[in-house]
Amino acid sequence: MFAESDLNARNKRVQGLFRMLFLMMTVLLIVPVAIILFTLVSKGGGVISIDFLFTNPTDGMTAGGIFPALLGTVWIVAVALLASVPLGVAAAIYLNEYAGDNWFTRLIQLAIINLAGVPSIVHALFGVGAFVIFFGFGTSILAASLTLAIMTLPIVIVSTRESLRAVPQAFREACWNMGATRWQTIRRIVLPNAISGILTGVILEVSRTAGETAPIMFTGAAFFLPFLPQGVFDQTMAMSLHLFVVATQVPGVPEELPFGVALVLIAMVLIMNSISIAFRMYLRGKKKW
Amino acid sequence: MNAIIDQDDNQSPEYAIHTRKLNLWYGTFQALFDVDLSIRNGMITSLIGPSGCGKSTFLRSVNRINERLGYVRIEGDINVLDNNIYDPAVELVQVRKQIGMVFQRPNPLPISIRDNILFGHRLHNKGSKADQDEIIESALKQVLLWDKVKDRLNDKGTELSLEEQQKLCIARLLPVKPSVLLMDEPCSALDPKGTAAVEELIWELRGEYTILIVTHNMAQARRASEECIFMLMGKVIEHQATEDLFVTPEQKETADYIEGRYG
Repeated sequence: MFAESDLNARNKRVQGLFRMLFLMMTVLLIVPVAIILFTLVSKGGGVISIDFLFTNPTDGMTAGGIFPALLGTVWIVAVALLASVPLGVAAAIYLNEYAGDNWFTRLIQLAIINLAGVPSIVHALFGVGAFVIFFGFGTSILAASLTLAIMTLPIVIVSTRESLRAVPQAFREACWNMGATRWQTIRRIVLPNAISGILTGVILEVSRTAGETAPIMFTGAAFFLPFLPQGVFDQTMAMSLHLFVVATQVPGVPEELPFGVALVLIAMVLIMNSISIAFRMYLRGKKKW
Repeated sequence: MNAIIDQDDNQSPEYAIHTRKLNLWYGTFQALFDVDLSIRNGMITSLIGPSGCGKSTFLRSVNRINERLGYVRIEGDINVLDNNIYDPAVELVQVRKQIGMVFQRPNPLPISIRDNILFGHRLHNKGSKADQDEIIESALKQVLLWDKVKDRLNDKGTELSLEEQQKLCIARLLPVKPSVLLMDEPCSALDPKGTAAVEELIWELRGEYTILIVTHNMAQARRASEECIFMLMGKVIEHQATEDLFVTPEQKETADYIEGRYG
């Protein structure tokens, strides 16, 4: 009565086949990442040292370290965050907590989606026109960072909205029904519970910002600078552009140097992402509802 | 303890909630038709009726929570303690302070039990830290929860059992000193033991607060209320002392409903 029929056997084989197929697709996803990491470590791992990280490039960038580029990327990312996080978080709070569903908010939504779809080189040209020329910041960290900030705003807005949305509506109702204003509700209940998600979005934005090349090459990142930036109106070197330069623009660079630069850049991004994940897990573990 | 008294008037009015020709529409759908209700001060009144009869809608218009939906339109008056709460001069925060609400699903805030109790108090009292402990103790004692949680006031409110959560949700309303408590099926997420415990608590609060409780559960209405209102299709069919409504209903629809012929 409960023995396997022919049909059962056939269904099982088909099911097994599809399971295999989906598993292989999943494995396939990891392959490029693994190959990239393996190549970078095997070819570039040798040049990494404390000196490499903390000295200037020498001999027409064919030797020496990457310190100005590393520091420049930190500058650019930090200034970009200072601009985009307050703006993006505020916009997301408005959209999620205050705005109703009307033509105005739908228009803003549409604008955000489109902003996310604009190619980075177009952002670069916008940055030149707006920040370098119109606002007169010149090619500077400030101009480059603001360009990146605008480019990454959709990430901040979307991820912040998602995490605000994840806070159960019942909490808001509870607050409103005790006579809390919207702001009191946001400040005391919504934000404390959304903060892990918001920070995750911010860290994702960091990794995106650190890797971008096109938006900064016309607006503030320099090919080579013999000195470190002193403030936001200075130009600076940056990791992503430096990689492009040593890989394609300078003759006589030893093969392992660009791989070393790429390895440091990707390590920065991976470390940021890992921190983000660890942080999120920590905060998730703490909240219960 | 006295119910909150209107500033111009030292006598508590006879009716806590008094509506006249209340009509309410969700978009084009009319949910309430000419509702005239007078709900006695300091009493427990239950609202019964089949799903969609407008009882929750009525409850939710008493503290103006419905209007947040945007597409809700209201005509007629709702007076709470002799003040028309839809008067333009009325401050919504003051309405919410006077009229507490308890929901179907307990919704304690994801903060400590202590902070849950003090949440409303802190919203409405600037910086007075002095008698916080007293406030917490008194609120938790009123909801019969003090002995269970007094040693873990720093635990999160969301970690309590559902029954305790619902009690906490009632307790956190009390420090704000409301005069009316609205309860929207407060026991429907609870097991029978929790239901009995919360009903007992509601009964304890009788006299101090005007309590309006929506319920699907006729036995509960009968056990835990002094007056009872039966609604059907957005209209009030009958409003009587609970015992009379269940024993000698005047309207045929009421009789049919309480005998379980529909609903």
